[in-house]
Amino acid sequence: MTAAAPPDSATEAQVAAALARCAAGDRTALRVIYDAEAPRMAGVARRMLRRQDLAEEAVQDAFMRVWRAAATFDPQKGAARSWLYAILRNCALGILRDENRFTSDEDAADQAAPMTENALAHLPETSALRRCLERLEPARRAVVVLSYVHGLSHGEMAGKLGVPLGTVKSWARRSLISLQECMG
Amino acid sequence: MTDSDDKTLAGEYVLGLLEGAARLDAERRLASDPVFAREVESWRVRFAAFDDAAEPQPVGDELWRKIEAGVPAATSRAKPSPTAWSQFWNNLAALRATALGASLAALILGVGLGFAIRAATQQPTMVAVLLDGNRAGAVVHAFADGRVVLVPITSINVPAGRALQVWTLPSRERGPVSVGLMSEARTLQLSLKDLPPPGPDQLFEITLEPATGSPTGRPTGPVLFKGNTALAL
Repeated sequence: MTAAAPPDSATEAQVAAALARCAAGDRTALRVIYDAEAPRMAGVARRMLRRQDLAEEAVQDAFMRVWRAAATFDPQKGAARSWLYAILRNCALGILRDENRFTSDEDAADQAAPMTENALAHLPETSALRRCLERLEPARRAVVVLSYVHGLSHGEMAGKLGVPLGTVKSWARRSLISLQECMG
Repeated sequence: MTDSDDKTLAGEYVLGLLEGAARLDAERRLASDPVFAREVESWRVRFAAFDDAAEPQPVGDELWRKIEAGVPAATSRAKPSPTAWSQFWNNLAALRATALGASLAALILGVGLGFAIRAATQQPTMVAVLLDGNRAGAVVHAFADGRVVLVPITSINVPAGRALQVWTLPSRERGPVSVGLMSEARTLQLSLKDLPPPGPDQLFEITLEPATGSPTGRPTGPVLFKGNTALAL
């Protein structure tokens, strides 16, 4: 599978401008963001939630929050798309962690190694994230990928990797330190 | 806590690995601690390649219609376009019927727009994140010039005939004081004119009340979100 062309700086500028218009109450600007980003947002949510209906629910929640919070987006503090995807990820995590209505049986059955390698293979070869993740031991790499890409908790990863919870927590922290040194 | 612990903590937050109190604590710091917020943004940027590599999924107009149905109509918040204005002036019946409402709306949206723009460009001196258990519902920003603004950050379901009322507790002796009322979750300038400026650790909360506000002048309905102010660094 080839990933779609990654978004460029023009997309970033388009989303930032649209957020300013959302803050001023312009609903057509929200549609601009929807057209530019909703399919990819649904893709991010689907990797975490597995089901298309839940992924769409996360995207819907995210757009509601984007509309209400657009005035709080501050371009001095971060990128517009990074703000947008942080909101989406929070919405998806909210659905994922709401255990009363969602159980990830399928997640539990999948093996850690192929899930990790598949996510890594989708990153561009030139990506610093990919290069730095590849330097980590496979199990530590898996902790980063399974949590970020698939939304797994410490406990779920401990089950999948067959190690104690404390080990997973410590792997996650060490991987973050290594990644930060490697990526700067 | 050392800087390096904070960097790792910010990374754990971005990975989605913090839960319960730890996650809430990180969200509070994200809103009030610019150094921590920068660490979080750095991690978001580092991991963004994963999001960019996600396989796009088809989303239809149906999803857009659901979103559109959940956001207020454009005319209630936006500056009317010239086209809207010309249609408005060309329809005398509508003009008579809605003249008062329209000028009120124009006034309100003009003022609201001013708040939004100023709120986005000024640093608050005091911040409170209002929570429901582990869910953040709104943020209160107090600015140096005395303005206090509430910004909802999640959708809040308001049943018909009810309203959201915002309260603060300036002191135990005085008890809760109403500082705002709204029929739906939106950015709201709170009215603290008769009160001292909010100090640190001052409670703000949102309750569900009758449409015209609490009949007793004290909160009567369920508390939806509450939180205490902290100094913004």
